[in-house]
Amino acid sequence: MSSQSVRRRIRPDWFDADSAIIPAHHQSAHLIELIQNRGYSDHRLLRHTGLFVEDIHRRQAWITPRQFLKLVGNARQLDTSQELGFVWGSRWFPGHYGAASTLLYEAGSLAEILATLKRYQLLLSPLLTLDIIEDDRWCYLVWLDGIGTGSQRSFLIETTMSAVSSLSAWLAGEKLPWKYALRSQESKQRAPYDVYFGPQLRFSQAVDAMIIEKSWLHQRWRTSSDIVTTVARSEADAELQRLGPTHGFVGVVYRHLFRNCHHPLNLPQVAEHFGMSAPTLKRKLKHHNTGFQALFDEARLHTSLYLFHIQKWNVEQVAEHLNCRDSTNFRRLFKRWTGMTPSQFNADLIHLQ
Amino acid sequence: MNRQILQLHAPKMLLLTLLANLSLVAGFAVGDPKTWSEIEWLDVFGEGGGALMVLAWMALILGSRPAGRVSDLMFAGLALIFLAMWQDSLDEFVKIPKSQWWDTWLESATLPIGMALLTLGLVHWHREQLVIVEQLRKRERHFREHTQVDRLTQLASVEYLHQQLNQELRPSREAGLPVSLLMVDVDRFDAINRKFGHTEGDRLLQAVAQIIVMNIRRTDLVCRYAGDRFAVLLPNTGETLATLLARQIEQAVRHFAYKTSQEGETLYHTVSIGIGLALSTSTEELIQSANRSLAKAKAAPVRKQAA
Repeated sequence: MSSQSVRRRIRPDWFDADSAIIPAHHQSAHLIELIQNRGYSDHRLLRHTGLFVEDIHRRQAWITPRQFLKLVGNARQLDTSQELGFVWGSRWFPGHYGAASTLLYEAGSLAEILATLKRYQLLLSPLLTLDIIEDDRWCYLVWLDGIGTGSQRSFLIETTMSAVSSLSAWLAGEKLPWKYALRSQESKQRAPYDVYFGPQLRFSQAVDAMIIEKSWLHQRWRTSSDIVTTVARSEADAELQRLGPTHGFVGVVYRHLFRNCHHPLNLPQVAEHFGMSAPTLKRKLKHHNTGFQALFDEARLHTSLYLFHIQKWNVEQVAEHLNCRDSTNFRRLFKRWTGMTPSQFNADLIHLQ
Repeated sequence: MNRQILQLHAPKMLLLTLLANLSLVAGFAVGDPKTWSEIEWLDVFGEGGGALMVLAWMALILGSRPAGRVSDLMFAGLALIFLAMWQDSLDEFVKIPKSQWWDTWLESATLPIGMALLTLGLVHWHREQLVIVEQLRKRERHFREHTQVDRLTQLASVEYLHQQLNQELRPSREAGLPVSLLMVDVDRFDAINRKFGHTEGDRLLQAVAQIIVMNIRRTDLVCRYAGDRFAVLLPNTGETLATLLARQIEQAVRHFAYKTSQEGETLYHTVSIGIGLALSTSTEELIQSANRSLAKAKAAPVRKQAA
C-alpha cells in the first residue's frame, strides 16, 4: 500500500490520453470549421467529445488526446471524402498556435522548419512524435504514435504530412520533392494521394516517413529576423514549460524500448523502470490502444532499419545487436514484422530513393 | 431537404393548413362526435396515415424544387389528394349528416381532380428534367447517382470516373478507338488559398469547373479528381486532338478574369494539363500516365506565372 502511494506521488514525465493539454482552438478548431463549411451539424461533430463550440471561441479550453481523437473520428464519419485529412492538414501551419507559429512563419529554410517542428511538437502535432534522422544523403522525418492514436493513426499521419508538405511549399515558393513512405496498405482511393503527395509514394512500408535530399535543408528562401526568432523561441519555450510534460505516454515507453532493445527486455522490467507494476503498465498500454509486444516489435524493427540503412550494418551484425540467436532467427522475426525479408525490404526502399 | 427552398412555398402551405382546419371545424360544428367504441381504428390508421404520407411527399418535392409552374401544379395535386384523405379520416371521428353535401364532395371529387393535376405536374416535370439532363450531359454521361457527385463543384466524383473508364475502355479497345484522359491542375492553388482564404479557393474551383465544362464536347466527361485537379475523359480521341483540347482549356482559363468575392479584385490563373492515352492500358494505368504527364508539365522549366 505504502509503496503504491509513493509511486503515485512521482510526477510522471509524460502526459496520457486523459490529460487536458491540447488547446481546443488550435488544430481541432480548423477541423470544426472545415466540417461546418461542408454543411454538417456541430451537434453530430461534437457528439461524445465533451466539447462545445463556445469553448473554442473562448480560447480558454484544453482538451485531452482522447477528446481530440473522438472529434477526428466523428469528423471522418461525417465527411467520408478521403480528402479530409489532406485538406485539414494543409490548413494547419503556420496556424495561430502562439510563438511556435511565429517561428514557422519566420523560418528561412527547411532546416529551420524542421527544428521548430521537432522542438515544439507538443504544440504543432500533439498526438504524434517526430524523429528526424539523417544519413549522408537523405533526411528522414519519421512520425511515431505518441499517445495511442489507434484506428486514427494513419489518418493523422496523412494529415501531418500534408501539413508539412503544404507549409514547406508555401515558404519555399515551390513544391519540394518529398518522398513519402506510409505504413498503411495501398488505398483504393489513390486520387488524394496523387494530388497532395505526388507520385513518389510507397504504401505498406515499415515506418511513416517523409524523405528529402539533404541539399534542400539549408537552401535559404529568405532571411529571417533574428530578434523575432529569439523572442518567439523564448516565448514558445515558456509555453512548453507551462504545459508540463512534452511527450505522450506511448511515445515515452516506445523511446525507452527503442533505446534499450539491445538488452533482452520484458514487461516487468519496463514497468519497474516507469515505477509501476506490470499489470498497471499492461492496463495502461491497453487503455492507450496498444500493448507491450506491439511497441517492442516496432522499436526493434525501427532499430534494425536504422542500423541497416543509416549505419550500413549487415544482417548478422543487426541480429547480434538485437540478441537474436542467429541471423536466420532474425530474418524470421523481420518477416513477421514487415511481411518481407530484410533484403527484399532494402530493395524496396532503395527503389523509393 | 433545403429549408430555404421550403420557405419559398410558405404561402401555399399556409393556405392548405387553413383549409384543413376549416374542414375540421366545420365537421365538428355540423356533426356529432362518435363515441370511442364507434371509431374504426384500422380505418383511422389507413386513411390518416395515407394523408400524412402525402404531406411528407409534398415536403420532399417542394423542398427540392424552386417555385414555378411545375411546383404549383404538383403542389395543387398533392394538396387536393391530402384534403380528400383528411376529410375521409375526419369521418371516422364525426358523424356528419347526409344533408351536408360539401362533405361528400370534398371526400370524393377532390381525389380525381388532385390526381389529374399531379399527373399534369409530372408531365411538365418530365419535360423540365429532359432540359436539365441536356445541361448536365458533360457532367454525367447517361447515368445519375447523387452519391457520386462532388459537393463543391457539382461535378462527378472520382469513383464515377473509374466506373466510366471501366465501361469505356474495353469497347474502345475492341473497336480500335483511342481514349484520352486529361488531368487539369490549377497552378499555385495552395498559395491562392493561403492568400485569399479557403472560401475564395473553393469559389475559384467552381469557376474553373465551369470553364472546363464549357470548353469540352458533348460526349466528353469532366470529373473532380481530388483537390484542385480535374479529370476530363475524352472518348474516341487520339493524341493530336487531345492536345488541341488541352491547349483550348489552358487558353480559356488563362483569359478568364476571376473576381474575388470581397474586393472584386481581378485574378488571372493558369492550369497545367497532363495527357494520358489509352490504347491497350487499364483504367489505373491510364490515370497514372495522365498524372505522370501532368507532373512533367508542372516541372517544365518555363513556368507560366499566375498574375
